[in-house]
Amino acid sequence: MSITLRIVLIICSVLSFILCIVKVKQSKMQVTDSVIWMIGTIVLVLMSIFNKAVEWIAMKLGFIAPVNFVFLIIIAFLLIQGFLADIRISILNNKVKDLNHYIALEEYDKNRKKK
Amino acid sequence: MKVLIIIPAYNEALNIKKTVKDVTNNTKYDYIVINDCSKDNTKEVCEKNNFNYISLPVNYGLTSAINIGMKYAYNNGYDVAIQFDGDGQHDAKYLKNLVKTIENGQADVAIGSRFAEQRKPFSMRMIGSTLISMCIFLRTGKRLKDTTSGMRAYKREIIKEFLDNPTLTPEPDTMVYLLRKKYKIKEVQVEMREREFGESYLNPIKSIEYMCNMIFSIIFMR
Repeated sequence: MSITLRIVLIICSVLSFILCIVKVKQSKMQVTDSVIWMIGTIVLVLMSIFNKAVEWIAMKLGFIAPVNFVFLIIIAFLLIQGFLADIRISILNNKVKDLNHYIALEEYDKNRKKK
Repeated sequence: MKVLIIIPAYNEALNIKKTVKDVTNNTKYDYIVINDCSKDNTKEVCEKNNFNYISLPVNYGLTSAINIGMKYAYNNGYDVAIQFDGDGQHDAKYLKNLVKTIENGQADVAIGSRFAEQRKPFSMRMIGSTLISMCIFLRTGKRLKDTTSGMRAYKREIIKEFLDNPTLTPEPDTMVYLLRKKYKIKEVQVEMREREFGESYLNPIKSIEYMCNMIFSIIFMR
């Protein structure tokens, strides 16, 4: 990995790490949701610092360039996060639907009693 | 047998009055209109005519509308629930044939089919319908001719099934799910009309999305 890429990775990771903390402090994000992103940024920083280790693993796995290995890890992480987010949206969707039904049925009963 | 007709309505102010009149004039069953947070004055029309209706505070689509109808049917001890389009395409005089089929124990689900005895015409829509039929045949070995018909009658066990499993939709893939659970499905010949007012829900992109959802769901998921 080039030194420029390593510096960029570290800076972006630190900024993201801070962003996670800020968002939790602003109550815009749950602690459980932000922790996984913080771990992700820590992994990126570690990979930038210990680039010899990354190069060694990448070589053993047969990557042409170590940077490809870093990108692969980032992509895999994002895919998993995207998939988990989709599952959560589905669950929430269902919960909102149930609430929607609950309100409608309550309203219906109230109207019934009035008549 | 206590029968409930579920009439989902989204922006059907122009059609809903006629649909409900059709139901009340031609059958003696109970009905409930589900107003899925329409943007037009569907709710006011229901209120003014003193229809039996539930009004959802948030628009959530057909599946949710049928689902709340099922909840209502289950909580109020109905034996049969029928989904019936609010856009005036369905003809209420055929409903008793559906109910009779269930009453005789010939089926757990009765589908109001346009092609049970008649041949399918040739159009884009029917190519889609045939494709879904083929998938259902491949998966279950049962031939359903009018899979996309929106007029279906369900027995109480299946109403329960709908409430227990929120991924079930009032669509053809659920028929596969039910067939695989050894429920009996029977098609009953009905006639349908063209819609008079308002827009159909399906546009080309939605149609493709619908077909993809159905084919994947039928082959891999149900």
